[in-house]
Amino acid sequence: MTEPTRYADRPEWSDVLPVEQYENANPLAPIFYTNEYKDATNYFRGIIKTGEKSQRVLELTEHIIRLNPAHYTAWQYRYETLLAIDSNLEDELQLMDELAITHLKTYQVWHHRRLLMLKIRKPAAELVFIAKTFKVDAKNYHTWSYRQWLLAYFNDDELWGGELDFVEDLLYADIRNNSAWHHRFFTVFQSGVHDGEENRERVLKRELIYVKQSISLVPNNASAWNYIRGILEHHSIPYSRVTTFVQPYTLSMDEQTADLVDLDNPPPSKGAHLPCAFAIEFFADIYEAEGGDSMLKATELWKSLGNEYDIARKKYWEHRIREGLRAIQT
Amino acid sequence: MSGSPSLLTTLENHYLPPLARVAHAGHVKRCLSGLPSSQVDLDPGRMAVAFYCLGSLDLLKMVQEKISQTDRESWREWIWEQQTRGKYGSGFRPSPFMAGSMLSEGARYTDYDMPHIIMTYTALLTLAILRDDFSRLDKQGILSFLKACQREDGSFSTVPGSGETDLRTLYCAFVISHLLNDWSGVDADGALSFIASCRSYEGGYGQSAHCEANGGTTYIAMAAIHLAPVTSNPLSPSEIRKTIEWAVHKQHQSGGFCGRTNKLADACYCFWIAGSLKILGAGDLVNSRSLAVFLSSCQFKFGGISKAPGEHPDPYHTYLSLAALSMFPPPLYDNDTNSSSWAFEPLDPLINARKETAEWARSHIAIKE
Repeated sequence: MTEPTRYADRPEWSDVLPVEQYENANPLAPIFYTNEYKDATNYFRGIIKTGEKSQRVLELTEHIIRLNPAHYTAWQYRYETLLAIDSNLEDELQLMDELAITHLKTYQVWHHRRLLMLKIRKPAAELVFIAKTFKVDAKNYHTWSYRQWLLAYFNDDELWGGELDFVEDLLYADIRNNSAWHHRFFTVFQSGVHDGEENRERVLKRELIYVKQSISLVPNNASAWNYIRGILEHHSIPYSRVTTFVQPYTLSMDEQTADLVDLDNPPPSKGAHLPCAFAIEFFADIYEAEGGDSMLKATELWKSLGNEYDIARKKYWEHRIREGLRAIQT
Repeated sequence: MSGSPSLLTTLENHYLPPLARVAHAGHVKRCLSGLPSSQVDLDPGRMAVAFYCLGSLDLLKMVQEKISQTDRESWREWIWEQQTRGKYGSGFRPSPFMAGSMLSEGARYTDYDMPHIIMTYTALLTLAILRDDFSRLDKQGILSFLKACQREDGSFSTVPGSGETDLRTLYCAFVISHLLNDWSGVDADGALSFIASCRSYEGGYGQSAHCEANGGTTYIAMAAIHLAPVTSNPLSPSEIRKTIEWAVHKQHQSGGFCGRTNKLADACYCFWIAGSLKILGAGDLVNSRSLAVFLSSCQFKFGGISKAPGEHPDPYHTYLSLAALSMFPPPLYDNDTNSSSWAFEPLDPLINARKETAEWARSHIAIKE
């Protein structure tokens, strides 16, 4: 690839006075810029000095952004220029589609999209675009945060309508994708009541069955256990409501007794790695909440976690035992 | 989470190789003298890079030994050159990346060269590491700058008027107010309600409202709440318990911490999450031996610490790993050779600096009546 012609050698830029970056004699962590970056930013500083906002400024800022997508001043000036010259923002968004995939982890890429969307106001297509980026990285924090912002900001029932299916696809691909579980919680419980979700009892029941079935397929999944805890706490339902469901997961495979198919309490699937430490922890929490004699049962479970099933967190389980015993003494 | 006990027991008593202190100091010193063009994305964040590099040397107690008097003086000058004044008050810019000339006396910044709140926080700490007397700090100007950065929802922008905002900037505003010992630049109640809006059902905090719980932002939420000028903790005992539970579960069998549920361990979360536990008074729940074993495996053979074994090192992961070790020095056994390489002085977990440096910062930056 040949280097692009320097701005200094391009007649159409000859009217701009480039401004070299000032640096003192002994700078901290200087960057050894490429000549291309130096040339482009010299002209950018020159442009800022005159305040020019024009088509060629869009070319220049795009060039800088491609060299350094974290250059927030180039983004800021680009956005101001787009507005000043009444540029077509949908074209800009299209250009951003490419840049977003290349620089998925750069905050500025997503911030710029957010500013564009505030003007364009067509969030539905954005949701489709975001879904595409998840094929590259389904846990990208910026992308998720942008999606959550879009939904909350535009808050339109048509937008929300597809979210549950969207999450289910992602969880089907990776049942341990915590970002998807989080998004499910946000969609169902923390963003108001959407169309078709008015019967909250039914929604609660549906979500409990969904997460139980997920645990039944893959019991050792922290995300699913956090989700079931989250649902119960959100509704102020005691954990003991799901005792029947949780208990089999605290036992070994040989100790399983379930022979009926109980839809409310799906049993561990064959081949599951049991007992499941998350279930033991959950069960201990049920005993702890009961207090009294049950606290001793809880401490037995914490002991088994510290000594056998979750040794890496031994100090934590010992702490829980101390706290539990202190609670029954007072 | 569950696994073979014999494997875990072995890991607990795993051989702890020496911490290559001199090599890590070498890595950050090289970065201080210059970064390759491939790292041009650090251009708008050079002050933070300087903080991670000099902060690493400070935690290793090598600032005096490795940096000449002349460099210490001229680097202080470089940082002061980034303090700028203008219509939104005063603060520090990331570097002269938008500057065409030396700032002249009385010069005012433009809308394209404004001070940045994260860079202001890192500049103050770096100056404290270099034991500056802060006589040139425009303290009243910084208070105005904080005011200009705070938004209606209680959060803070990186630069005045920008929509770029999340919990990180709020933390910086709080540390700066704490160091100035003056909270008149911020609406602390508004900021605390913004923090509350970032709490997730998992017990951790996201970067803004509706976002997934993450280690970095949970640390920031915990530190900010504990810095806030309020007499009682706004969190209920059950909320604190839940946050501790969430954080404790982020430590993997490898000893490393992951930043979110079901993610891989990363050296930086050994600071962010173990630090949250420390702030919550639950530091004793961290397995500090396996933490050190994990961080030792992230050491790059030519110096520096990377996010995970086999990756390339950088000043950010090097600093945060050393800061984690300063809070959680590993218990040492008789058969550990080079055990002195793991000795650290204590860290101030709220402002993220060696205690002596934090004390210097507080006593020199505070606005005196």
